[in-house]
Amino acid sequence: MLKPRVCILRTDGINCDEETFYAFNKAGAECRMVHVNQIRSGEEKLASYQILALPGGFSYGDDVHSGKILAVELASFLKEQLEEFVAAGKLVLGICNGFQVLVRTGLLPERHLGEINATLMANENSHFECRWVNLLVERSHCVFTRSLEGSIISVQVAHGEGKFYTAPATLQGIENRGQVVFRYAGPDGRPTVLYPHNPNGSLNAIAGVCDTTGRIMGMMPHPERFVEKTQHPNWRRMLSDTIPHGLAIFKNAVDYSKQM
Amino acid sequence: MIQEVRVIAKPGLPDSKGDESLYEINRALGIQSVEKVRTARVFRFEGISEKEAAYLAGKLLAEDVFQTYRVNGPVIEDAAVVLEVAYKPGVMNPEAASLLKSASDLGITGLIAADSSWEYGFYGRDISGADIERILNSLLVNATIEYVVREKPQTLVIKGVPGPTGVIPIRRMSDEELLTLSRDKLFLNLEEMKVVQKYFAGLQRDPTDCEIEIIAQTWSEHCVHKTFRAKISMDGQEKPPLLKRLKDATARSKHPLVLSAFVDNSGVMEFYEGTAICGKVETHNSPSAIEPYGGAMTGSGGVFRDIVGTGLGAKVLASTNMFCFAPPGTPGEDIPPGCLHPHYLLRRVVTGVKDYGNRMGIPTNNGSVHFHPDFRAKPTVIVGAYGILPAGSSRKRQPEAGDLVLTLGGRTGRDGIHGATFSSGEMTDRTIDVNASAVQIGHPIEEKRMFDAILAARDKGLLRAITDCGAGGFASAVGEMGSEIGVNIALDRAPLKYPGLAPWEILLSESQERMVLAVAPAHLEQLLEICRGYNVEATVLGEFTGDKRFCATYEGLTVMDLEMEFLHDGLPQRFMTAAWQRPEHPEPTLRETRNWSRLFARVMGHLNVCSKEPIIRLYDHGVQGTSALPPFAGANGDGPNDAAILTPLLGKPYGMVISHGLNPVLNMIDPYHGSLWAAAEAVSNAVSSGANPREMVLIDNFIWPFPDEDALGALDMSVDACVDFVRATGMPFISGKDSLSSTYRGQDGTVIKIPPVLCVSVFGRIPDVSRTVSADFKGAGNQIVLVGCRNTSEMAGSVYYDLQGAIGQNLPKLDPDNLMKVFEAVYAAIDSGKLLACHDISEGGLGAALAEMCFGGATGASITIPADENPEQFLFNETAGCFLAELPADADLADIFSGVPCSVIGKTTAGGLLTAEQYGKTLFTLNLDELKEAWQRPMKEVFH
Repeated sequence: MLKPRVCILRTDGINCDEETFYAFNKAGAECRMVHVNQIRSGEEKLASYQILALPGGFSYGDDVHSGKILAVELASFLKEQLEEFVAAGKLVLGICNGFQVLVRTGLLPERHLGEINATLMANENSHFECRWVNLLVERSHCVFTRSLEGSIISVQVAHGEGKFYTAPATLQGIENRGQVVFRYAGPDGRPTVLYPHNPNGSLNAIAGVCDTTGRIMGMMPHPERFVEKTQHPNWRRMLSDTIPHGLAIFKNAVDYSKQM
Repeated sequence: MIQEVRVIAKPGLPDSKGDESLYEINRALGIQSVEKVRTARVFRFEGISEKEAAYLAGKLLAEDVFQTYRVNGPVIEDAAVVLEVAYKPGVMNPEAASLLKSASDLGITGLIAADSSWEYGFYGRDISGADIERILNSLLVNATIEYVVREKPQTLVIKGVPGPTGVIPIRRMSDEELLTLSRDKLFLNLEEMKVVQKYFAGLQRDPTDCEIEIIAQTWSEHCVHKTFRAKISMDGQEKPPLLKRLKDATARSKHPLVLSAFVDNSGVMEFYEGTAICGKVETHNSPSAIEPYGGAMTGSGGVFRDIVGTGLGAKVLASTNMFCFAPPGTPGEDIPPGCLHPHYLLRRVVTGVKDYGNRMGIPTNNGSVHFHPDFRAKPTVIVGAYGILPAGSSRKRQPEAGDLVLTLGGRTGRDGIHGATFSSGEMTDRTIDVNASAVQIGHPIEEKRMFDAILAARDKGLLRAITDCGAGGFASAVGEMGSEIGVNIALDRAPLKYPGLAPWEILLSESQERMVLAVAPAHLEQLLEICRGYNVEATVLGEFTGDKRFCATYEGLTVMDLEMEFLHDGLPQRFMTAAWQRPEHPEPTLRETRNWSRLFARVMGHLNVCSKEPIIRLYDHGVQGTSALPPFAGANGDGPNDAAILTPLLGKPYGMVISHGLNPVLNMIDPYHGSLWAAAEAVSNAVSSGANPREMVLIDNFIWPFPDEDALGALDMSVDACVDFVRATGMPFISGKDSLSSTYRGQDGTVIKIPPVLCVSVFGRIPDVSRTVSADFKGAGNQIVLVGCRNTSEMAGSVYYDLQGAIGQNLPKLDPDNLMKVFEAVYAAIDSGKLLACHDISEGGLGAALAEMCFGGATGASITIPADENPEQFLFNETAGCFLAELPADADLADIFSGVPCSVIGKTTAGGLLTAEQYGKTLFTLNLDELKEAWQRPMKEVFH
């Protein structure tokens, strides 16, 4: 079986590209760093890839809104390529800034390029926060979390604008259609809106969502920062056979793409 | 015509900036008349129609999900006071470029210029004019870079015509005139000014302003380290220059892993598999003192460029920061005129470091904050950076005649003019007014894309040499790169942020995010291609010549023509006298403690002991995925660790350790022993995490009061301590920096000197991170072991003494030869896999170390204080180079630590209690939750 090809999209200010590359690579994919300029110039085409990954960082300095300038660029210049990519049943993953970009293009949660239905607002405590949190993996049709449903995973958040917010009707729709993939969980394993377990005050404790097909997924925490055991702050307190929690997300993406 | 768009959160939705401002107004300023603050973004566009502005508002500026907007009209209409705060014209707003790009992406073509700012609406019936004045001056407006917009600007375009190049008639100046020329601008002394005068007399011409400025800059204390190169007479005895002593000690150590020491932008040591790691630590005290946010940002940006400017370019792996401030609760009236309040300084410096490092994607994972009232004179802001590069690219190369000089990255503006010379001057009550141009706003995204381009070019072998454009700008970067060979640049080729810069300003500008490259002409096109791919501007400024002169032209006219030899070797060596006076600090009389829970809580809540977690959480310490020992971990994620350990090569077991140590208070008592303490503490932090003392190197940073006889005497002793430490341990210093201007002089004759700071930073390599430990206790029923040599009666400078209002005389006196034996024993023990946890003893003593290990493990502890020990001294003595370790219950102590002092002092327990007994009687039983609350409270109050 050929390794699925992953386009790791870079531009000014993207800075989690190398660890995302490493995570997909470790999960069995063949990755390539692609600068958005290369797609705009035609040197690279999204169609040559099975997975599009939008890594974390501060694209264009997060000016105006986090991820906004890149979202405008994608929705203006890569609209057709993106629509084609999504329509072909391929996978899109946005992590942190990548999630903010996906929401601001409209691809999440409604898979409608150019129409923004949700947002990621400033954290409730109004500052950047870097800490490890627990996520409850919800039952959904998200392909990135197959076989993880119901489990609690430990991941790091590092963001200043991660509060998932949308109008009540949209929120209800997302919930009803099972588009919530991850929720911040308290020590008891239940979803929480309370700081610090929920680091940003997200509505319904939402940490990640997918579209209705489950093939486009965005999340604020960084699963790519836990694909090696020693990346966890407390690996010295863990059992020696612990499998890094983030790795399964990338493996699921690779497995799904192999079967396509 | 300028179009204005205002964007505001919809009613009922959170306004985090408004809430944050309100909190500060109520809490930090104590102004209660303001009941609510609403904020709005203001965007201005020149060259487009109102309709186009509305289109941008809908597509780019406002999101309908949570915001509304208005074009050319107010959005806050019901507030008592509405004010807009913007960057001053000429201060680069990093957002402007993004606005231009996105507008173009959206098909808006006529846009000439854009700007953004913030508008504040203050609500409350009793807000006075004086309240608003204070809010603006103390909180919202830093007058060096920002202003209150009272009138809508007529244009956003900055116009200007450069003035002619001036000639300074130095040959006929009197001594008095020479000194006037020097004051506030050149910072050279009379002897140095006369050397310049004589040089031009010999040339039979007067210097241009370019020439006089570049001499002042090249000869500034900041760039040339005159004091460190001076011959010194200490107490009548002549001694070699300080820098020579340090370099000689390093050379004598013959450390096998060192690849380059003191010759490059950072020091380099061998890592694994053909790679090398490098480290550099810098200070940014002067800019941070007057504009802490911009100062800290440019400090981080500069030290990162030192890493990428090492060898043929290194990737930045980590950022560190060490700060010294006056206590944040210092009453406002105690702050000298011309200085900023430490509460504001601390918060703004942290925000600057955060915004630069986080945006660059560089983890900030090691640091500390120290407090002493005398830092009100000037804060100490130390920033470090570490990197990795191919070992084969780690040697500095020289440009060849015919190679091109390229500038890469940001454009040149009027920012930071006189930064290098200004940093060399003392603080005065005029500092803020006179040197405002020495500060600017950093642009981390510009730097990040430039680094990406440089590393891509390095990997293709396109670079001959590279250096950072930092203090002194092109003058320094180009001048140093061409110092052996000669160089000629055309200043009018430099891309400018706005027109109107005089040639000397282009030459001296310290605009950030620029690097200078030497590139063979054959490689130029390929290099430019890479730069275009990363949206990086690259421009050929000139070429390296071979004539050993530094020449510059502007529009065809020569504006500078100097011999490199005069520029770099013409400065006369100083001869300085030093004599240190031991200050009187009487020993206090110790009283027996009656209330242990109060005493212990006060120690834990002391500013120099308390948890700095609220600061660490603001920094991204996990980006790059390399962390193998984070700043905080443990059962609840709030137990501190001693060092950072990274795995720079993902998937490989190799570790890089980073740590540091400093103790300004001990240096006030005795700079020799205080400095040994700093070095011992730095190394202890690395060793207690599992690093091998034979495979680590050191970086020095001396932040000192102005070097008068006394301060220079202290510096001499500090350097001697460093040299003795290198001799005994074999660990060399491979990079360093000094900043000798931390004295404040007020108009009324007030003189305040900071406590002298020696910060020792450590980095090293670890073959396998799985053989390292964290500081949190791993379980109940394990042995707690004390390792190391200490005389617990040496209490001077301790937190315990400080709580008694005393400093004391009898400070910890370390023996570096003994230290090395302990380091080796601790390392061997961790490497053997037998230790469960280890933590070194520093401020707050054994007591604080023990409590922190309990916090991390969510365990308790029960200890026995030896019969011959005074309990307060046993618990709160701060001798560095001592460790607490956790061993399994059945482990044999003698087996694990042979040949060094060690003893079992107690065991870990399951409960949340810390108990101590002596002579078979319980001394105290303390609630660890209460201690933790006391330990966490101080910084939570500053960083809520």
